[in-house]
Amino acid sequence: MMWRDVGVTLILSLILPVVAQGARHTPPGKPKLTSCRSPDKETFTCWWEAGSDGGRPTTYSLFYHKENSETVYECPDYHTAGANSCFFNKNETSIWVNYNITVVATNALGNNFSDPVDIDVVYIVQPHTPENVTVGVLEDKDGPFLRVSWEPPRKADTRSGWITLIYELRVKLEEAEEWEEHRAGQQKMFNIFSLHSGGVYMAQVRCKPDHGFWSEWSTASYVIVPDYIPRERSMWILIAVFSAFIFLILTWIITLNRSSVKHCLLPPVPGPKIKGFDQQLLKKGKPEEVFNSLVVQSFPPRSTDYEDLLVEYLEVYVNEKQELMPEGKDLQDVGCLKSKSQSDNDSGRGSCDSHTLLMEKCGGVESKDESSYEEPELLQGQAGSWERLERGDSQVVDTPDSSDGRVKTWPLVFSPSIHGSSDNHHYGTLEMPKQHSTSEITYSVPDHLFATSTSFPHHHHPEYRDSLGEYSEYRRSRSPSTGVAYHWEAQHHPQAHSNFNIRNLERQKEATGLGLPPSRSMEYVEVQKVNQENQLVLKPLSSHGRDPFQVQFGRAGVDYSKVNGVNNDNVLLLQRQREMAEAGQYCDYREKEGAEAERYPTQQQGKTTKDGPVATQLQESTCLTTSGYVDTAPTMPTF
Amino acid sequence: MNNSKALHGCVLLLLWPFQGTTGSMAECQDPGSTHCTISLEKLLDRAIQHAELIYLVSEKSLTLFEEMFIPFQVRIPLTQTGNTCTTSTLSISTSRSEVQENSDKWLLHSILFLIKFWIDPLVKLQTSLDRYDNAPMALINKTKWISDKLMNLAQGVTILIQKMLGEGAVMLEQNNKSLADYPVHFDMLESVLRDYSLLACFKKDTHKMETFLKLLKCRQKGGLGCSLL
Repeated sequence: MMWRDVGVTLILSLILPVVAQGARHTPPGKPKLTSCRSPDKETFTCWWEAGSDGGRPTTYSLFYHKENSETVYECPDYHTAGANSCFFNKNETSIWVNYNITVVATNALGNNFSDPVDIDVVYIVQPHTPENVTVGVLEDKDGPFLRVSWEPPRKADTRSGWITLIYELRVKLEEAEEWEEHRAGQQKMFNIFSLHSGGVYMAQVRCKPDHGFWSEWSTASYVIVPDYIPRERSMWILIAVFSAFIFLILTWIITLNRSSVKHCLLPPVPGPKIKGFDQQLLKKGKPEEVFNSLVVQSFPPRSTDYEDLLVEYLEVYVNEKQELMPEGKDLQDVGCLKSKSQSDNDSGRGSCDSHTLLMEKCGGVESKDESSYEEPELLQGQAGSWERLERGDSQVVDTPDSSDGRVKTWPLVFSPSIHGSSDNHHYGTLEMPKQHSTSEITYSVPDHLFATSTSFPHHHHPEYRDSLGEYSEYRRSRSPSTGVAYHWEAQHHPQAHSNFNIRNLERQKEATGLGLPPSRSMEYVEVQKVNQENQLVLKPLSSHGRDPFQVQFGRAGVDYSKVNGVNNDNVLLLQRQREMAEAGQYCDYREKEGAEAERYPTQQQGKTTKDGPVATQLQESTCLTTSGYVDTAPTMPTF
Repeated sequence: MNNSKALHGCVLLLLWPFQGTTGSMAECQDPGSTHCTISLEKLLDRAIQHAELIYLVSEKSLTLFEEMFIPFQVRIPLTQTGNTCTTSTLSISTSRSEVQENSDKWLLHSILFLIKFWIDPLVKLQTSLDRYDNAPMALINKTKWISDKLMNLAQGVTILIQKMLGEGAVMLEQNNKSLADYPVHFDMLESVLRDYSLLACFKKDTHKMETFLKLLKCRQKGGLGCSLL
């Protein structure tokens, strides 16, 4: 039994491989047509690739039929084009006709058909590469250039127009990486410019029919470009030399003008111009000392300096009968009494406290001057102060710490708005109208009154006479001591002023009222001193009796003139009046006119005019009163 | 694209006698006229340029149509769909040798026949394109342009026939068969396929015209390369 099993297994083991070998033979795999190409539109070739051969020798055959016939033909030529190919010659090639081509693989076990492919010869044209590609270097006035020329492939019949070819070429330096491509159209020659001298160029050409595929690139042709110095390089050398020359000249000029260039590019930082400001102290780091040095001990003048001060008398009118005078009437009364003066200096902006606005209310009275504007307020201020004086108070009038020696500073002195509009009631008494840059009131407020430091009176006078810029500068120089920022230069504080004015007026309304009839009784108040808080300490003359200062004015029953206004030249425009006891007829108009006429020439002279002319003008006035007295003017300190 | 534009420009720049403007040259529209000064070579050149341009534009139109309406999986050869070009049924020689064997007369008449055959189907194609929702304007403009240029080419070939063959005005009767072969399909797919085959066949036929004209020119120039040897 065992021997039988072994024999069976042996036989089986021998037979099985043979049987299995027979089973591995299969029909061939499916072939596939890869491409068909025609080089000249007259013949064409098709190639295929074989599938698996199934272990048996397999034969391939190609069958086709044209689009409008069912007749199937076999490939006429399997060998001309190589293995796995079929070549169609001229006689068998029809253009504008679709071929339906199929490849069949056959072996002993069966056959397999490929997928059919439709082709039209016209659309599968791929010519051969162009021939005879030559590259040469030619000279031109601009430099050398390459000329590439070629010929069409031999098989393509371009002469008869059967095929129309377009060409393309590419060139590059031998060591370069990228090609430079050019379309050449139907021409067989091409020029290439802008060469690198001393390099080796290589060129290639290919072609394509107007409907078909691009041919392969032809073999590269090499050419050596000789060395040459292009004119461009010489031009660049010239430019470089020229620019270097210009650069040298510029450097020389700049070094010559080192300082001015430095000044232009890096403007010097202005140092502090604070009088009394010691930079060394600041550097030492002791700010207290620095600021202390700025504080002028002598300002405001104490009572010990009182004798040095010239005190001006303020005319204050109090109309006890008119307690509740309407505000408008006040203004009118006040404003209409004024004479003309120059136009206010608010540059036509018509600020609220422009005195011309006030003047307009007067109607017929022509008024343009700020001085006239200033006066009503002043008078009102006077009235206010009168009130306080009547009460027997020693009014403290705030004055700006601007130690304006001039009368010009009068407005500043009285403008509490500088301080920020606090203590309005106090301020109301003596506030002057808004400070016009050129306004001056020739009130005889001496410089000393407001001298806050020893250096100030000497410093400021020239500044006053000078331009407004210095004027304002002076202001600013005072600010550190007072801690108040001034911005005076041609600035207005209309709001504060108007507020003040209104308040003032209101207050006056509440109070005894204000009126300026000529027949009012007057009281005089004299400025006693300026205290530390920049306040004018006033005292009524009546309470203090005669002051030495009054001696100069002292005449019993003397009449005082009202100040009409202030002109540009620090001239007080005073108003002549008849006897106070007389009826309120002012000779003011005539005098004003005269004064005005006289005044104009002096105004043109600038700010250096003294007060002398004013006095003379007044003296020359034809309207003389018996006891017309103009104070302040001759006694005004001139600066 | 650049080539077509260049060709187009060249054609427009030339004095085109078929359009009635000859500039300094006398027109050759009068059949019996002997004062025509345009040479036959120039006439053939212009005809060839026209045909080349028409071929390029029709190729572009077919590409546009394919991109727009024929998805990739449908792009099977036309013969398999059963739509064959009508003109292929006509006995037009198909190999170069056959073509070159034909006489000038045959060539010219074939060209004229082809032109006249395609005038009506192109008009129908335009109406069909208008019915599509999203036919690109470029395609519509191109088909319009082709129709116009085809008319010009017809005039030119007529003149060439007169000049080369000495015949009078040849009036080929309308081939009514052409109309019947392109029935109007209202079904979208059918319509699309029909238009696609129409464009493809037209492209092929314009190439034929171009080739024939070039052959004629080669023969006119003389030279051995034109004839079969």
